[in-house]
Amino acid sequence: MRRYVITAITFVGGLFYLLEFVLPGHAPQPASQPAGVATRPVAAGTQPATQPAAPAKRPAADKPNSKDRQNVLTPWLPDVAKFLLIVGTMAFLLGPINLVRGHLKTLIRGGEGWAGSVAFMAFLVMGLTAASFKTKDDAAAKTAKPPQVTSRPASGPASAPASAPTSAPVAAKAPPKPGTVFDVLYDALIFGVSTAFFASSMALLAFYLVSAAHRAFRLNTVESGLMMAAAVIVLLGQVPVGDWLTYRLPEFLQLRAWAQWTLMFPNAGVQRAVLIGASGGAIAAAVRHWLSLGRRSE
Amino acid sequence: MMERLAKLESLSQRWLYLATILLLMVPFLVRIPMPPRGQAVMAAKGVYDTIEACPPDKVVMIDSSWDMGSRAENRAQLECVVRHLCRRRIRFVVTSMVTPFAPDFAARVIEPIAKKAGYVYGRDWVNTGFIQVGGNIGAIIDGMCKDFHKIRPTDWKGVPASKLPLLQKVRTINDIHMVYCITYSPAEQWISFVKGQYDTPVAFGCMSIMGPWYYTYLDSGQLCGMLLGNRGAAEYEALLGHPSTGTRLIGVASFGNCIIIAAAFLGNLGAWAARRARRKA
Repeated sequence: MRRYVITAITFVGGLFYLLEFVLPGHAPQPASQPAGVATRPVAAGTQPATQPAAPAKRPAADKPNSKDRQNVLTPWLPDVAKFLLIVGTMAFLLGPINLVRGHLKTLIRGGEGWAGSVAFMAFLVMGLTAASFKTKDDAAAKTAKPPQVTSRPASGPASAPASAPTSAPVAAKAPPKPGTVFDVLYDALIFGVSTAFFASSMALLAFYLVSAAHRAFRLNTVESGLMMAAAVIVLLGQVPVGDWLTYRLPEFLQLRAWAQWTLMFPNAGVQRAVLIGASGGAIAAAVRHWLSLGRRSE
Repeated sequence: MMERLAKLESLSQRWLYLATILLLMVPFLVRIPMPPRGQAVMAAKGVYDTIEACPPDKVVMIDSSWDMGSRAENRAQLECVVRHLCRRRIRFVVTSMVTPFAPDFAARVIEPIAKKAGYVYGRDWVNTGFIQVGGNIGAIIDGMCKDFHKIRPTDWKGVPASKLPLLQKVRTINDIHMVYCITYSPAEQWISFVKGQYDTPVAFGCMSIMGPWYYTYLDSGQLCGMLLGNRGAAEYEALLGHPSTGTRLIGVASFGNCIIIAAAFLGNLGAWAARRARRKA
């Protein structure tokens, strides 16, 4: 039964998007712009920000993929997208739930790697607590009034911030409050611990690259020579050292120009070939998913 | 002589690692001005020109979907574009997908620049926060293009769109001049839907390592421009005449790339010397 429900929902979902895309459409009545919204932040003292919004120029729906094309299914598209958003959010929970189950088993049984499980659970609890109870900005944001766009010029130039009072809707303009312990914990976890961990793991790539370049990148054949030449050109052409080495030469002899040519022509050609091949496979996979022709899970 | 050179082939990795650490530390300890010389390449100029062409009644949408993992390159790419938007007095809406930490990181970059420029949150810029797209990123982007409020009815602090004048203005893709997506590897669905279906310009800011993949779209005109790593950010800052994070970090990348080339050279020199020594013996 479950299989048929999943198959039916998958088929209907795919059919909806297919029909929405291929069915001919018509141009809807232009929607009116909300009043009182300035078209652009203007410099202080030049003109008020309350100029009425300029009527948007809407192109006619004279082509199949026009911005204004609408068919009978189009109004439902945002709702279907929202449904997918909810499903995606539910799926987002599956990862943590599975991880917690696995680590709890390890902790209860006292198996190998229990220290890692303790660390995981500790960080999970700290992260959830900090994110759930952090208060900085949030409360002020929800209770603040919208900005009074009718009472002042929008803003000054970059060198002279506007001085007139403005009630911003979030705490960016509210008087700064000292953060609670949860705010401090959140900042420490995200901008301290996590940033340091991620930066360290990404920085290791530099060492792997240097090591690989020294040990594995050998000039044994013509092909490896071409690869080495392309690598050196792109590596130097992408950084100022390459500019400094060749900036006195004519434009077409500069490393930067060679790097751009390598990326724009030989590279783009190869990538496009890969993309075309992969797209054929993706279409086949999509049709199999849509019609539920893949291997049955039951 | 050959025997000594041959030792380079089996040089201990510890020395390579030590040399890497020391050389990468140099640009952090000593400020070496290394702005990119010559004209900005087409990729960075494309983003700049598209923003310059933004009409007064449109906003720019920034999909800032990066966090601590790719901060080294994506931060400068966001910083320079936000600075340009503020200078041109263009309003912008920020969304985040891929990682739930992205709104925090984006806010930390944008808030000081916006504050300095006199931008008011809610009226001149809005951070709509994280959207959990899962595997449905194309459908979500399409839904946002059709009805932004259905997908994001509030900002990242839960303030409803009715309280945010800028969000009242941004309802469909018609209100958006351009989408600029910054992350480690931007989703190609932005091209498929925003550019392909609605012909709205799309620009990417990605890590250097992902650049070769996206040059295909640049060449075909599907991307109006691209900031490729810190090089792209540095070129953008040169266009703005405001050297900042990208210009500073591209110096570090210079040292890093030179170390890789030097390591490959030493390894090959050692291998060549070892071959010669074996032949003589």
